[in-house]
Amino acid sequence: MSGEYLAFLALALVAIIGGVLMLNLSKVVHMVIALVFTFISIAGLYVLLSAEFVAAVQVLIYSGAITIIMLFGIMLTRHREEDKEKTTTGGFWRKALTAISVFAFGAAVYLGVYQLDFGENAARLHEKNAEQIGTALYSHYIIPFEIISVILLVALVGAIILAKKDDGEAQKK
Amino acid sequence: MLNVYVNNYVIVFVFLCIGVLLPVGALAMGRFLRPHVPDEAKQTTYESGNNPFHDSRVPFQVHYYMFALLFVIFDVETVFLYPWAVAYDKLGLFAFIEMFIFVLMLVLGLVYAWKKKVLRWM
Repeated sequence: MSGEYLAFLALALVAIIGGVLMLNLSKVVHMVIALVFTFISIAGLYVLLSAEFVAAVQVLIYSGAITIIMLFGIMLTRHREEDKEKTTTGGFWRKALTAISVFAFGAAVYLGVYQLDFGENAARLHEKNAEQIGTALYSHYIIPFEIISVILLVALVGAIILAKKDDGEAQKK
Repeated sequence: MLNVYVNNYVIVFVFLCIGVLLPVGALAMGRFLRPHVPDEAKQTTYESGNNPFHDSRVPFQVHYYMFALLFVIFDVETVFLYPWAVAYDKLGLFAFIEMFIFVLMLVLGLVYAWKKKVLRWM
């Protein structure tokens, strides 16, 4: 059992525990903290895969920005802890169907991933990782990169339109 | 080289552990050391201050969500700037023009937000 294997097991365990805690905790901010643990352990998995830059981006975007946007979403919505009661929705068949579909999805992913072949193993990936990504992105993948800028613009304008519309409705009330 | 890479991250792991354990340890030590004598006046929100009224958890205005969204979008933009800056020596003028177009697109978005008066902190 090598150190890398141990690290993988620990990180995967933290990621799964974070996800399960996020579903089971009752206070919203605690859920967000559990989610941050999941994100950071996934960043650790990227480090194990020699994808240093992706790991840094994971910490920056997911455990930084996405968490902040979730906290904003929590602050915007009305939620009371006391008047929330534990109610179960759906009968036996619905639950059974959900369980079957979860297991089927797991089996499909397992079958798909187990024999997956990515071609040659990139052994030099850990040397100057950001520079490698830079040269690949700005010489071979220019069109996707420029499309990303258009998508970001669309997201920006769409978000502004949605939020302004809500503002107008709030003022009408 | 891979050994050096992995060993560097052992130090990162040690710092991560210190970062997580320090507040947990400090608060746990504090719980053991401090006396615990609660009474009615101590448990008010502002001890020897104003009496609290209303509920503190009121929903915020949707307006502030815009700032979070803008932050995420420009954060993603910064992420693309970083590998560009690192590999700039190898790329040359063409990459500069590409990045100029990229930034121009987002500046368009920013100008739109400005014109729509989203950036005003009310």
